[in-house]
Amino acid sequence: MNLAVDMLIGAGLLVLAWQTISGRSLFRGIVLFVVFGLTMALAWARMGAPDLALAEAAIGAGVTGALMLVAFRRLVRIRPDQCAQPALRRSRLAVPVAVLAGGLVGVIGLAVVAVERDPALAGLAVTEALTDSGLGNPITGVLLLYRNLDTLLEVAVLLAAFLAARTVFGEDESRPPTPARREVPLVGALLAIIVPLTILIATHLLLAGSREPGGAFQAGAVLAASGVLLVLAGRLQPATALSAGPAFGLTLGLMLFSLVGLAVMAFGDPLLALPGLWAVYLIETAMMLSIAMTLVLLFAGASGLRRSGP
Amino acid sequence: MSSAMLYVLVAAGLFGIGVYGLIIAGHLLRKLFAINIMGNAIFVLMVAASAPLDGRPDAVPQALVLTGIVIAVSATAFALALMVQLYRVTGQASLEQDPDGDD
Amino acid sequence: MSASEVLASLLLLTGGLFYLAGTVGLLRFPDVYSRLHALTKADNLGLLLVCSGLSLLAGTWRAAALLATIWLLGLLAATVSAHLIARHARAHDAAGDKR
Repeated sequence: MNLAVDMLIGAGLLVLAWQTISGRSLFRGIVLFVVFGLTMALAWARMGAPDLALAEAAIGAGVTGALMLVAFRRLVRIRPDQCAQPALRRSRLAVPVAVLAGGLVGVIGLAVVAVERDPALAGLAVTEALTDSGLGNPITGVLLLYRNLDTLLEVAVLLAAFLAARTVFGEDESRPPTPARREVPLVGALLAIIVPLTILIATHLLLAGSREPGGAFQAGAVLAASGVLLVLAGRLQPATALSAGPAFGLTLGLMLFSLVGLAVMAFGDPLLALPGLWAVYLIETAMMLSIAMTLVLLFAGASGLRRSGP
Repeated sequence: MSSAMLYVLVAAGLFGIGVYGLIIAGHLLRKLFAINIMGNAIFVLMVAASAPLDGRPDAVPQALVLTGIVIAVSATAFALALMVQLYRVTGQASLEQDPDGDD
Repeated sequence: MSASEVLASLLLLTGGLFYLAGTVGLLRFPDVYSRLHALTKADNLGLLLVCSGLSLLAGTWRAAALLATIWLLGLLAATVSAHLIARHARAHDAAGDKR
């Protein structure tokens, strides 16, 4: 019975992936890609990895889908006939190469599964070491205590991607002048409920992330979702100039993490050894804000945001 | 068949589909779908093939995959910006060699 | 199988049927408005049934409250998105071919 559910999800993933790349319409491809991401979240939950399920649903499906949709809209603005797609290329090598690549992955995976192993030594060590650190969620523990340099650089990569995208992209000239449209009445009501609720959920994910599934990345993506809603509803307008607030938000996580990581060296600890649970919470909060700000700005395709007020 | 084996096979299938899509796709957005699917296949492989630890997969590969998901979205965001800019400048969103150069 | 489990299974199955009906409607109905009608009406009821079935199975008030919140949020999202889609369709007068 359990295997049947897994098989259903696996088959769904394969069909969705195939439809995403082979469908005719690009827009449809984006929608299917989001559905693929959500099905991946189900698969993570089935594999016993709820942290990944949360991250996949929020980041893999949500944020990536939103970014793809907004890029597609920019393409449509430049030239409306995006239905006239470049045809799929014909390549005689495509099928054999794909079969070989997939086969390679399968053989590696099956070989690893078939090997008789000691039960995950690193994992066991982590779980034991974490019981006295106060971090009940081993994944948050691994990310912040053992692979802290990875996590620091991950935030740096996100920031670098934003800066690179800004540099390449320049100003979005295709954007129509600020729409003076009336806001749909229901949207105001939706925002009034959803935005505070999203902030609550993000805070919960952040705080719970030390014990249960959750963490700074999931929380940041959820927070970014409410920012994206505000941009879509026109409450926040893209601004050309980078003002102090967003700039601070963008760099906060990286700066605080580096500062704390360097400061502990003054006390004789190794680089990035976090001094306690309070530091974990502090850094995770800063990372959440930075991640949310970066993602919203990437979505808006702008260097800054301003409130559109009367 | 165990569910770990099943997910390993799914990962293999996804990777094959991704490679196929990457080769045959004309539009850059489609190539991005394909690359993301390939990435997801590797994530599934890493988690499914890791030795379970009291019923749940090992935390270390999970943490690596979590990092990977964020890196994937960063790279996708940058690639999307490149694609839109390429389209703005050249009027085409594919890497085809086009003799006319106007579409 | 206890009485509550039987009831929960019944609720879950009925919920699944409503989802099925909504999806069939989405695929088969001719225009935007009737598709939205099928999707929002049937799926919201389906979600309610699934959520109540699950909270019966979970058996705690905490889980029931969380599931009720999920249903309310789903309801809110469905309402607003259906409204926006219908509004957009009407403004562009594109009813008939695509969503």
